Amino acid sequence: MKIGYYPGCSLHSTGIEYDLSTRKVCDVLGVELAEVSKWVCCGSSPAHQCDELMSIALPAKNMVLAQKDGLKEVCAPCASCYSRLKVAQERLKDPEVKKDVEHVLAAEVPEDMEILHILDVITEKVGLDAVADKVVQNLGGVKVACYYGCLMTRPPKVTGKRDFENPTDMESVMAALGAEPLDWNLKTFCCGASFALTKTDVVLELTKKILTDAEAVEADVIAVGCPLCHANLDGRQPQINEKFSTDFNIPIMYFTELMGLAFGVKPKELGLFKHLTEVDDFLKERALI
Amino acid sequence: MKVIGPEEIRIDSTLAEEVARRSGENVFLCYQCRKCASGCPSRTFMDSTPTELMRYVQLGMIDEAMKGNTAWFCVSCQTCSTRCPQDIDIAHVIDTLRIIVQEKKIKAETNNIRLFNRIWMIAMKYIGRMYEAGLVGSLNLFTGKPFKDMALGVKMIRKGKIKMIPPIRNPFPTMKMFSRAKGLKK
Repeated sequence: MKIGYYPGCSLHSTGIEYDLSTRKVCDVLGVELAEVSKWVCCGSSPAHQCDELMSIALPAKNMVLAQKDGLKEVCAPCASCYSRLKVAQERLKDPEVKKDVEHVLAAEVPEDMEILHILDVITEKVGLDAVADKVVQNLGGVKVACYYGCLMTRPPKVTGKRDFENPTDMESVMAALGAEPLDWNLKTFCCGASFALTKTDVVLELTKKILTDAEAVEADVIAVGCPLCHANLDGRQPQINEKFSTDFNIPIMYFTELMGLAFGVKPKELGLFKHLTEVDDFLKERALI
Repeated sequence: MKVIGPEEIRIDSTLAEEVARRSGENVFLCYQCRKCASGCPSRTFMDSTPTELMRYVQLGMIDEAMKGNTAWFCVSCQTCSTRCPQDIDIAHVIDTLRIIVQEKKIKAETNNIRLFNRIWMIAMKYIGRMYEAGLVGSLNLFTGKPFKDMALGVKMIRKGKIKMIPPIRNPFPTMKMFSRAKGLKK
């Protein structure tokens, strides 16, 4: 199966381990990822906060590029990229918006492009049976709190998701790997992503709530599917501990990293040593590396 | 929340009309059920709740709607838009308010977000992709906090997560897009 791949800026920098693990996992599952050539940034939060037209034109540019590559489906692992691509598709249904965007691009925007999150590719295109088939190292009941954040599911009008208040796709994948997905409250609560650099206090407050809830259900690890959530949950733990006198040291892993481990991919190839809250001790303790 | 007396009663729908024209969202559908306010993760930081903000836009209370910090504390988590029983895309309304403030250069409590957006869009235009080191560096420089998140940044550079060299490839496509968009707005 060949599918377009839009990594986005984060997966080439702060979320490098998400890119590495996604590629490895898709390799094992027989999904060929074709990176959209010459892709540009989707504009992310700043674009939709300051320039409506460019916030649609930038994602649309990537759809045009994907079509040039002969792609009909594009998957984006970053929840923000995924959301911006989906929102652009939704807004482009308005003929006036479409006219303006096509003027900015000097090209026609493809209408039938299918935009998927990488989790959708795994659950819908590949299927859980195929995932379970590839497991060579059962995760041995590791307790996982699956964290979706905002944009993997919301708003449902855009994402088309049915279980947006209590999504369970990631839990199904974790169960297929032999892990124990936990029931917890804040799986779709916001981490404050777009304020990471501008209003860090908000991020620390929101991220603390998420970590507290995960700790309350005794999670061994929090699984995420967004590089911005990861950067906040993984990187801000020392600052949270300092500010709130807490003692968090919870491993935050991309769900693709956990899949890679279960598939027997070497830890280094998954980027497991690039985390800021180190995961080595936890994985050694559970005899997973 | 501001309480107004009988002598002050007047409704100015100019702002609501502008929001509708730009976003396609009709704020008059809001009947103040407060679902948006109760689900908002950021509400404790805001001057007013999202529900109150919707009322300000309905009533054309421009100062309250635009100059306070409420719109600028919206994290764009889409919870309000998801739960609104009237199907108003509240996060889109808030984005529209922020766009109006920035376009008209209205003085507002934006807490550096206006600056952050500008730096980001400049990178978009001339690089086409995000350049984290440049973004953080210039943001810290302009806000006068050069050492903010220093320890975190150093760790990330060591782990190879932040690249010092900007990811410049071919900047012309995005530069052309921005200039055509500028032409269109005129």
